[in-house]
Amino acid sequence: MENRFINNHRNGAYLPGLIWTLIRTDFKTRYHGTLGGYLWALVKPLFMFAVLYTVFSVIFSMDPNYNLNLLIGLFLWDFFSEATKTGFLSLQAKTFLLTKTNFPAWIVVLTSASNALITMSILGLAVCAYISIFRRSLSLLEISCFGLYIFIFLIIIIGISLAGSVLFLRYRDINQIWELLMQAGFFFTPIVYPLDIVPHKFHFYLYAWLPTAVIQFSRSVLVKGEIPTITAHLMLLGSASVVLFAGVALYCRLALRSLERL
Amino acid sequence: MVALNIQEIHKSFSIPTVKLDTVREHILNSFKMGKYLRNRRELRVLSGVSFSVKAGETIGIMGRNGSGKSTLLKIISGIYQPDRGAVQCALPITPILGLGVGWNPELDAIDNIYLLGTVMGLTLRELKTAKDEILEFAGLQEFSRLELKHYSSGMAMRLAYSVAFRAVRGLLILDEVFAVGDREFQERCYKRYEEIRQAGHTVLMVSHGPAEVERFCDRAILLEGGKVVQEGSGQEIVRAYVQLLTSEKAS
Repeated sequence: MENRFINNHRNGAYLPGLIWTLIRTDFKTRYHGTLGGYLWALVKPLFMFAVLYTVFSVIFSMDPNYNLNLLIGLFLWDFFSEATKTGFLSLQAKTFLLTKTNFPAWIVVLTSASNALITMSILGLAVCAYISIFRRSLSLLEISCFGLYIFIFLIIIIGISLAGSVLFLRYRDINQIWELLMQAGFFFTPIVYPLDIVPHKFHFYLYAWLPTAVIQFSRSVLVKGEIPTITAHLMLLGSASVVLFAGVALYCRLALRSLERL
Repeated sequence: MVALNIQEIHKSFSIPTVKLDTVREHILNSFKMGKYLRNRRELRVLSGVSFSVKAGETIGIMGRNGSGKSTLLKIISGIYQPDRGAVQCALPITPILGLGVGWNPELDAIDNIYLLGTVMGLTLRELKTAKDEILEFAGLQEFSRLELKHYSSGMAMRLAYSVAFRAVRGLLILDEVFAVGDREFQERCYKRYEEIRQAGHTVLMVSHGPAEVERFCDRAILLEGGKVVQEGSGQEIVRAYVQLLTSEKAS
C-alpha cells in the first residue's frame, strides 16, 4: 500500500500569525541579555567597514567611490553570509517545536533570514539616504532596481538555506564547510577590491558567483546611476530561480525523512 | 462518521551501529562500504497497525514502553512518515505529545504562549483574547513575565497544557497528559477534558494509567511489539495490559 498522509482540513488562517511570531521571537532571542541589544547587528558590518577602509583606502586611493562601494559590498555580503549561516541551522534550532507539533517546517527556514534582512534594510536605507543627501539624488527607478536586487538576493538565500537546512540534519559538519566557503567567497567577491583590477577574461567566473552580480548591480545603480541591461537582469533572475528551484527540490526530497533525525 | 482511519501502518528506523553524523565520517566509511552496509540495523517499531476512530469517540492506547505508542502518535500527527500504510483523518489534529511540548526558555510566558499557540494553529487574534484565560488555567498569572528558564518543570508543563487545551480543534491527541502537575491541576485537566469531550471532539489518548482509560475511553487498544494485539472496552484493555505487565514480571 502506498504511504500517504491525508489531513487537509487545517486552514491556513494561522500562518501569518505564525510567521510574525517566529520573526519576532528570533529577533528577541538573538540579542537577548546583551548590553547593546540590536545595535550589535549594525555595529558588526560598520566596524568591518572602518577597519577595511582604513587599510585598503590607501591602496585604492585613486577611486573616489571606493568608500561607498566598500560599504555597499560589505553590508550586502554580511546579509548573504549571516542569512545563509542561520538558514543552515534553522531546522535544528527549532527542534523543540518541530518534534512536538506538525506545521510546515519550511516556514522556519524562510523566517530564519529575517534578522539579517532587518539589519540589511536599515543599512541599505542609511546608504540610500547618505547618497541622496551628499552625492546625488536617487531616482525612483534606481531605488526600485536596488529593491529588486535585494529581492533576488533573498531568493538565492532561501534556495541555499532550504538545501542547507535539510543537509545539515544528515551531515552535521556541512555548516562548517559552508563557513569555509564564505571565508573564501568574501575574497573571491569584489568587495574590498574593485572589479576592474581583475583581468576582464576572469569576470565571467566572478559573476557566476551570484553575490558578485548582486553587489555589482547594486553599486552600479546606487553609486554610478547606471542601470544594467535587461539581458543582465534576466540572467541574474534566471540564475536565482535555478538556485531556488534546486533548493526547493532538495528540500522536498529530503525534508520528511531528515526531520525524523531531529 | 469515521474521523480517523489507520490502515496497515509500518514504520522502522535504520539505526547505525557506527555513528555517522558528519561528512568526514561518511567519507571515511565510504572506503569500507561492506562494513558500512553491515553497520546498520533495522529497528521495526510498527508492523501493520490498523484501527479507526469514529467522530466524537475517545480511544485509549495502552502498551509497554517501546511498544510503538509514541511513534504511532507522531505518524498520526504528521511528524513522522509511515514506511507503508495510510493515515486518513477527516479532522484537523491537535497533538499534545510528550512532556516537553516545545518552549523557548529565553522567552517569558506570554511570548511562549504566542509561539506555541500559533504553531498549534491559533491565530494572533484568538491568542490575544485567550492569553489571560490560559495563564489563569495554569495558575501562573503572577509569573507571566518570567522567563521560562526560571520555571519549574511542573509550572512549564501546566502552561504547555493550558495552551494546548485552548488550541483543541477536531482530533485531540494526548500522550500521558494526565501525569503532569499536582492533584489540583490534574483535576482541572480532567474537568477541561470532560468539556472537550462534551463539545464533541474526538480524542486519541495514550496512557499507562488504568483509572484514566477506564474513566474516559469509549474503547481502547493494546499495542505490543508494534502490533495491535487486542481491541475492546477500556476495562478489557486495562485488564489485558495489567496481565501483560504481571506476566512480564513473573517471567
